[in-house]
Amino acid sequence: MHYAPAILIGRIVRTLARMRKPGGGSAVPGLVVNKIAPGFLARTLNGFPEGLVIVTGSSGKSTITKMLVAVLRAHGKTVFTNPSTANISQGLTSALLEQASLTGHIDGDIAVLEMDEGHGAYIAGSLTPRVVTLTNVMVDQIDRFHDSEMVQAMLAKIAARATEAVVLNADDQYLQDLAAGVRSPVRVERFGVTTEVLEANPRGLGYAQTATARLPRGEGVLVTRVAGREAEISLPEGDYTVGLPARGTHYAVDAATALGAARQALGTAFRAGLAVAAISSIPAVFGRGEVVSVRGRQVEFVLVQNPASFQLNLDSLEPGTDQILVAIGSDVRDPSYFWPVTTSGLGRVLIASGSKAHEIALQLAYDDVAVDRIESDLGRALDDFLALPEPAVGLKTIIFSADGMRRTRAHLGLATNSEELS
Amino acid sequence: MTQGEPRPLTIVSVLPELLGGNGDAENARVLAQRARWAGQPAEVIPVRSAADLPPQVDAVVVGSGTDAQLNPVRDILLGMADDLRAWATAGIPILAVGTGLELLSWGIELQDGSVVEGLGLVAGRAVPRAARATGDLVVTSKHGRLIGFENHARNFVGAEASALGTVASGIGNGAGAEGVVMGNVIGTHLHGPVLAKNPVLADHLLRAVFAARGTEYVPAERALQIDGIAKAARNQIAVRLGLATE
Ligand SMILES: [Zn+2]
Repeated sequence: MHYAPAILIGRIVRTLARMRKPGGGSAVPGLVVNKIAPGFLARTLNGFPEGLVIVTGSSGKSTITKMLVAVLRAHGKTVFTNPSTANISQGLTSALLEQASLTGHIDGDIAVLEMDEGHGAYIAGSLTPRVVTLTNVMVDQIDRFHDSEMVQAMLAKIAARATEAVVLNADDQYLQDLAAGVRSPVRVERFGVTTEVLEANPRGLGYAQTATARLPRGEGVLVTRVAGREAEISLPEGDYTVGLPARGTHYAVDAATALGAARQALGTAFRAGLAVAAISSIPAVFGRGEVVSVRGRQVEFVLVQNPASFQLNLDSLEPGTDQILVAIGSDVRDPSYFWPVTTSGLGRVLIASGSKAHEIALQLAYDDVAVDRIESDLGRALDDFLALPEPAVGLKTIIFSADGMRRTRAHLGLATNSEELS
Repeated sequence: MTQGEPRPLTIVSVLPELLGGNGDAENARVLAQRARWAGQPAEVIPVRSAADLPPQVDAVVVGSGTDAQLNPVRDILLGMADDLRAWATAGIPILAVGTGLELLSWGIELQDGSVVEGLGLVAGRAVPRAARATGDLVVTSKHGRLIGFENHARNFVGAEASALGTVASGIGNGAGAEGVVMGNVIGTHLHGPVLAKNPVLADHLLRAVFAARGTEYVPAERALQIDGIAKAARNQIAVRLGLATE
């Protein structure tokens, strides 16, 4: 086959890249293959017998992709998926290279791809996904996407490629508006939460614009109750209790999203009980409320990726938690956009750290949060924080941006788990 | 002033949802907190339409929004144009950031040649830039050096005679000057919590607010401590830009 030389070259480049920089350079071989055989990515992704499912949107992609893959595997499918750090096109090609035979063929019944909305819009034109899943529109880092309309336009471009179904968030007005453009025979599957669930989140769910109406019960996939790490989800097949990888309404919505996507991807083969069991068996997610044991201490990691997830994570912390470290790193170019987040519920933060330590401490101070110490050196901050005796209330809690998380993990020698990153 | 319970300071935050994406609307909270720390009760009143306007106002914050919302936001602002003009004339401090500044000016020229008419409250107009201005912005002003972040698609012309300061690093209005000042109306591209990061500017506005009440603003000890954090944050940016620290 005509892809064989390109694949071989890609593999050689990959090996060389790894020799130069262990663990790094993963996008480079993809870059080379994309140059030599530009059709490789699309041809391979469009070639799975049961098609391609794309998961995209502002937040929740990694968790939903993981849940959906688990559901499909529980239904006996062989699934190709991308590690979420590899969701740009070169990285995707590199991920495909890992598994492709020299003819460009990859074993698998179906592919599930997590796509960054920006890069997804760039490569979507060559893809023919059966199902496109749209999570939500949140205001991302301001220096990356200017505004919600731009995100909506990128998602619309990806959604327009769906051949069978678009799965979307009924509580997100930008996505509801986009649904009007989906033409028969492509179906629209909606997921959402009830009025009660929404009202339990006084600051909303972080969508750039929340729709005024809720999804009626019996239509689509509806989160009817969230309690800790459990949610009640109503499907056309019946009502189910689902175990979540972490507490919080956004994980319940992630589960509903995955169930909606699985219903559309599997069609008549979908078994709700099997799907719910698969989602419930997913282990806690690292960096988003996962509890890990470090140096003999139980520590909870909380990842904040944008103002919405910052607020949701703060609101779901155990009240009165008395040992909190906040680490905001260089990935947050300008922390101004965190200021609409109400941090006063934290009460007291023992250490503000990371390269943006002073910026985040300033915000906390104006929210009347006591900040005991500002320590830009994250390693030192972590060592001192972990050395403290056990907290009186809650767990030792580390709230970090993605960069803070990477540095924390490296400093504490925790296993790399690239699938958890997005 | 009357004895007993004086009316708390009323800080108006104009359209905090539509004009708050960068955290600019939070400057109202910064003013209120610094007043409270100085012993003066204060409240932030979110104003989403002219009907929400309180009878008496001590300071106003107009933040920055998205371009897609320029026209609807301008239409809402038009409904309070007379009030804004009366306050500006009366010397009530108004802080306008980014598109907030642009909408209070003569108008905004868009890339496609169309124009969004402004309220004409301050001199100048916004004109398209070839590339978006995103990055650190350092301004030399009569209040001292101001440091923050800018992220805007347009330059600001016609306000050279009444700028907030001159650009030491970054883009600002686009030709060496930054912002516009008219009495106690201050417009700037320094987005986000500019008043927290640059308390000299906050205290300049608060002195006007307190003076209008016949009292003197003295920053609280608490504010001075927190200003130390802001200074460290500013110095960090200065070092990154190769500028002298304070
Ligand atoms: Zn932008």
